[in-house]
Parts: sequence; C-alpha cells; structure tokens
Amino acid sequence: MLYIQHLTKRYGEKKAVDDLSLHIAPGEIYGFIGHNGAGKTTTLKAVVGILPFEEGEITINGTPIKADPLTCKRQLAYIPDNPDLYDYMTGSKYLNFIADIFGVGAEERQERIRKYADLFELTDDLAQPIAAYSHGMKQKLAIISAWLHQPRLIIMDEPFVGLDPKAAHTLKGMMREVCDQGGAIFFSTHVLEVAEKLCDKVAIIKGGRLIRAGTMEEVKGDDSLEEVFLELEGE
Amino acid sequence: MLKTLLKKQLLELNRSFFYDAKKNTARSKASSILLIVLYALLMVGVIGGMFTFMAIGLCQPLVEMGMGWLYYALIILIAVFLGVFGSVFNTYSSLYKAKDNDLLLSLPVPVGDILVVRLTGVYLMGLMFSAVVMVPAVVVYLTVAPGAGAVIGGVVLTLLVSVFVLELSCVLGWVVAKISTRIRHKSIITVLLSLGFLALYYYVYFNAYQLLGSIMTNADQLGRSIRGWGYPLYLMGRGAMGEVVPLLVVLAVVGLLLAVIYRVLSRSFLKMATAADKTVKAKYQEKVVRVRSVRRALLGRETGRYLASPTYMLNCSLGTLFLLIMAVLALLKGRDVFLMLGAVFAGGEDFVAVLTALMLCMIASMNDITAPSVSLEGKSLWIAQSLPVKPWHVLRAKLELHLLLTEIPLLLCAVCVAAVSGVKPLEAVLLVVTPVVFTLFSAALGLFLNLKRPNLTWTNEAAPVKQSLSVLMAMLGGWALAIALGAGYYFLMDRVSGAVFLLAAVALMLAAALVLLHWLRTSGARIYAQL
Repeated sequence: MLYIQHLTKRYGEKKAVDDLSLHIAPGEIYGFIGHNGAGKTTTLKAVVGILPFEEGEITINGTPIKADPLTCKRQLAYIPDNPDLYDYMTGSKYLNFIADIFGVGAEERQERIRKYADLFELTDDLAQPIAAYSHGMKQKLAIISAWLHQPRLIIMDEPFVGLDPKAAHTLKGMMREVCDQGGAIFFSTHVLEVAEKLCDKVAIIKGGRLIRAGTMEEVKGDDSLEEVFLELEGE
Repeated sequence: MLKTLLKKQLLELNRSFFYDAKKNTARSKASSILLIVLYALLMVGVIGGMFTFMAIGLCQPLVEMGMGWLYYALIILIAVFLGVFGSVFNTYSSLYKAKDNDLLLSLPVPVGDILVVRLTGVYLMGLMFSAVVMVPAVVVYLTVAPGAGAVIGGVVLTLLVSVFVLELSCVLGWVVAKISTRIRHKSIITVLLSLGFLALYYYVYFNAYQLLGSIMTNADQLGRSIRGWGYPLYLMGRGAMGEVVPLLVVLAVVGLLLAVIYRVLSRSFLKMATAADKTVKAKYQEKVVRVRSVRRALLGRETGRYLASPTYMLNCSLGTLFLLIMAVLALLKGRDVFLMLGAVFAGGEDFVAVLTALMLCMIASMNDITAPSVSLEGKSLWIAQSLPVKPWHVLRAKLELHLLLTEIPLLLCAVCVAAVSGVKPLEAVLLVVTPVVFTLFSAALGLFLNLKRPNLTWTNEAAPVKQSLSVLMAMLGGWALAIALGAGYYFLMDRVSGAVFLLAAVALMLAAALVLLHWLRTSGARIYAQL
C-alpha cells in the first residue's frame, strides 16, 4: 500500500528525516512513535504530498507521490496534528466541500455524514461555524471528512489529542474497520499504551533515523512498548 | 500589583510597535522608533491635521461672537462620536474576553485590579481617537484666546472626554455584544455599517464648507438648541474654556458616572468574564445536497472566505461598489459631463475616450481581491495542499472570484459610460475592452505578488489584507500602469489616434496578462504547492 524508500528531508543543513524506509501493507495499522522533533510530522507530510523532499521515493499503491500526486491524494486522507479547518464555513459546508472535491455522490455523502456525525455526536453542531468549535470538535470534523470518501490509506498525526474517551474509542473502532476492509493506517502518537493495543506494526524514529520497526512483538518482545521506547531513547 | 498589571496592559496595547508577528521576533530599536513616528505622523499629521483645519474655521468666529463654548461643544461632540466609534466594537471583548483572563483570575490578584487594568486599556483606546480631535482644537483655541484657565480647562476636558467615551463604550459595548450574538450575516451588516460611516464621512468632508457656513450663520439658534437638548455639552464647552464651576460640575458628574459603572462592572465582572457565549445556535437540518464540480467547489470556497470577512470585503473590493455607483451616475449625469468634456477638449474627442477608459481602469484597480488571497489561507493551507486538486486550479478559483466581482460591475459601468459618451463606435468598444483586459492583468498581478510575498503566519486577518506588501504593490501597480498609459498617450497624441493607442494598450496588457497567467500555471502553482 505505502512504500517509503530512503526518504531524506533537509531543512537547510539539518536532516529532519534521514534515509527512512518503511512499508505499510494493506490491513495494517502502523504506529509511528518518537520524541518531539524526531521527524514524525515531516515524514507524514512528505507522504501526503504537502512537503517536498530531496532524496528517496514514496509510492502509494505503486504510484510515486512526486510524479503523480493527484492519483496518490485521491486514495488517501490526512489529518494533521492541529486541525486548522476553514473557520468561515459551517461543519456541514466543510464536509460537503470535501465531498465535492473527492466526487462523492449526494446520497453516499449524506449517508456517511449522518453515520459518522452521529457516531461522534456532532450532528447538532453541523450548522455551526467551525470558528465556534472546540479543539475536540474540530478533530472530530477532520476525522469525519477523512472518512467521507472511503480512502484506502489514512495518514494521521496525533489523532487522539483533544478527543474525549468515547470519541477516542469510536475512532479506534473505525481504524480497525478500515484495515479489516483492506485499507491501511499510518499514524503518529505519543500515547504508547494506545499504540501497543491498537497497532499491528510500529516504527520508532529518533533524530530523523528509523531505529526500530516491525510487528509489535518484534519491537517490544516481552517488555512493554514504553520500556522499549525509553530504553531506545536513552541510547 | 496594580502597577505591574498596568505595565503588562500597556505592553500588550503597544505590542505591535516592539514585536514583529510575521517574523516572530522583537523589532530592532530603530524599527520600533520608525513605526511609532510613522503612527504619530498618521494620527496627528493626517487625521489630526484634518480636524485642525476644521478647528481653525470654527474657533475664531465663534469666540468673537462670544460663543467659545459652542466651539468646544461641537468639537467634544465629534470627539465623543469618533472615540466611541473607535472603541465600542472592541470594548466588550477587551473587558471580558481577553486571552489572559483565565491566567489573571487564577493568580492572587483582586478582581477589581483586573477590571481597572481592562478599563485603562479601553480608556487609552478611546483617548487615541478622541485626542486627535481634542488636542488640535485646544491648541487652536489657545492661539485665539490664550490664558492659564483655558490651558487647564482644555487639558482636563481632553482627559475627561475620554472618560466619558469610556463610560459610553462600556454601556454601548455591552449592547453591541448582546445584539451581535443574535444576528446572522454579521459580516454583511458590518460592511453596510462601515460603508454608511464612509458615506457620512465623505458627505461631511465634501460639504464641510457649507456646514461650517451654516453653523456660523445659525450660531445663535444652534447654541440655544444645544443648551436645550444637550445641557451637559454646554457645561463641557464652558469648562473647556477654563470656567471653574462648569468644569467642577462636569468633573463631578463624569467621576460619579465612572464610579457607578465601576461598581456595576466589578460586581458582574467575574460572572461575565467566565460565562460561556450564548450565541444563537443554528439548528442542523439535513437537506438535499447539490453535488458541485471541483471547479465550483473551489470557487465556492473562495466566495465563502470573501463573504465571511468584512475586512477583506471593505479593503479589497471597494472598486465593485464605486463601479456600480459610477454606472448609475453615468446614466443620470453622464451625458452632461461628456458634453462639458467635449466643450473643454473641443476637437479632442480621442482624448476624452482615452481619459475615460483609463479612469475606469483606475476604479477597477481598487479591487485587489487576489492580492491577499494566498496569505488568507493561513494555517489551513494544508487542506488545499493535501486534497487531490491541481495547485493551478486553486489559484484559478482565486482569479475567478476577482474577475467575477470586478468584470461584471465593470462591464455594466463601461457599457453605460460608452452609451452616453458620444464617442465613435470603435472607441466605444475600446472603452469597454480596455478596462476589462486591464482587470485581467491586475487580477493576475495581485496573485503573482502574493505568491512572491505570502504571509501565512498571521493571527489577525487584517495583517495580510491591510498591512501586506502584495496588496499595496497590486494597488499602486494598477494605478501606476493607468497613469503611465495616460502619460504615454499625452506624449503620443499628436502622432496616433485614441483608438490606435487604446488598441496598442489592450494588446500590451493582454500580452502581460498572458505572461503572468502562464507563470501562475507553472511556477506559481509550484510555489503554492510548496508553501
């Protein structure tokens, strides 16, 4: 589904991501962990085609993001760490705008908006301007918009920040459902307990370099993910 | 404690002089001083200068008539109007919705002290506006009727008028805040109110001479009238002249009012500052949605952005309004104007055609909708960048909004003007085509400039709209082009006809627009994708 091969991204002289390679297969929930400034967001932004990169290649279902970004973007959805949405739109207008861009039909979009807005208890607020939303409500709206066109690959940066426990539980269920249907999810998180319980595979990044990746069992063995992470960070 | 809080408030009010939000760094000393000097020049030199002329016109005759108090009463009325207009819309948010409210309320600071600090901020805001009227008026009065009493009266009244402005702002600010939570289409109402104020300003500006004359002729009657309905104004006027008793009465009344307002506000401050906004919540009802094409969806996004921002509408599309007004005026008075121009430039009909076409270009160049459009994406730029749309298509939607809002009123206006101008058919066609092509060029130029100088890190949308280099350059660039074309024709008019000149100008602008459009499709789109 997603191949990242020898990805290197520089900001001036500094390498934010250094020769990173990962493969996320269909059906996998892939966690991406690392300390602040390790290069997680940079990697995710490069994957979704927001950030240009100097070296390496990223392909989505065989299509290189650099050569054909539109084909790649049609297959994926992205939720950033801080959901700065269009404050001047209402929630419903925003969802319809995203649906228009992805060419989602009227009936399908209505059905999905109804389903996910009800799941996140956001239906009553859809007529409100996004400017009046709390951080958590914006996050819920960003999640609904990401799910609207039924993407094959979902990229999320800290998706659980700002969500209440019920919404976080709902999101976990939705993530599993996507993967059970052959999709894939690549997301960053600082909540190691969530990563440990939810992810099929995990990658740990430090100073822009991948220091460990594999199935959860391969990465943590008999220890907890937190212990392994702290040990690797201390090295 | 209070001193520390006041220091913080002053620092906050004057933050933009010492901190560059765009670069997220402190300004250098030289740049801070330059900014302060420029600001002072604008307030004192430009706005204050205008009121100085008015004061000069009023003061001497009224003082000679023994009605110095009427002079001050009129000045105070204007100062209060300007002060309240300048601060009323920010009062409620300054008092109760300050970002550091939670922080200050969690510290061991008396609530009364926080209120004093907030009120000081509102007072200074009002003072800034009312002082540009009061200070020149006091200075002018002292040159006409000097005296120690007049100095004291003038200074005390300047400070007191701002206290009165503060009191009015507190009351009206609360009313405005309550009303604004209940109205829909706030941005349109704000635009209409601002345009109303602008119209009033221009009415007073263009009729100042008659208004002053009318005041002088009817000074007695006006004085009696003010003493009837505005006795406090009469007292303030006498106080400003230096009369002790009226001054003390005004001081006592304004002081008493302030004490009452402080007491009421301090009782309710905690409740108001921590209350959740009770906005009228729109109820969501599922409707049959209309599926739009990507092109229409992107244009809809741009339109939504534009309609949601009074700042954007007022600063970047006044040309639309002026073009519509011009269209009406052309139909009503155009024929007479063109007959007069024909008489003035007898034998120079070509000149009239070129002049008219360039004037339409200048009005159209008041629209700079594309110039801040990239910057206005701000922190939500990631959405357009991560969606499966070509960057050029996003840029095209920005151009389309500019063209829709400018070309339609422009066509209407140009056709009306051409119809009444009486110029030859070919020139009439060029009179329409020239500004249309000019608008295409200026839309592309605005977008080009904004892609070269984007500001995506703003916290207030006024920054990219009002303080951006791209907007300034787009506007000046449009005017400069129109002036350059006028100058070019002036030097060539003996050798080429107006029609030939306009044809050449159209060809030149079209070529420049096509070059810019090509750049936007290629390099511009690349820059946008990588911002």
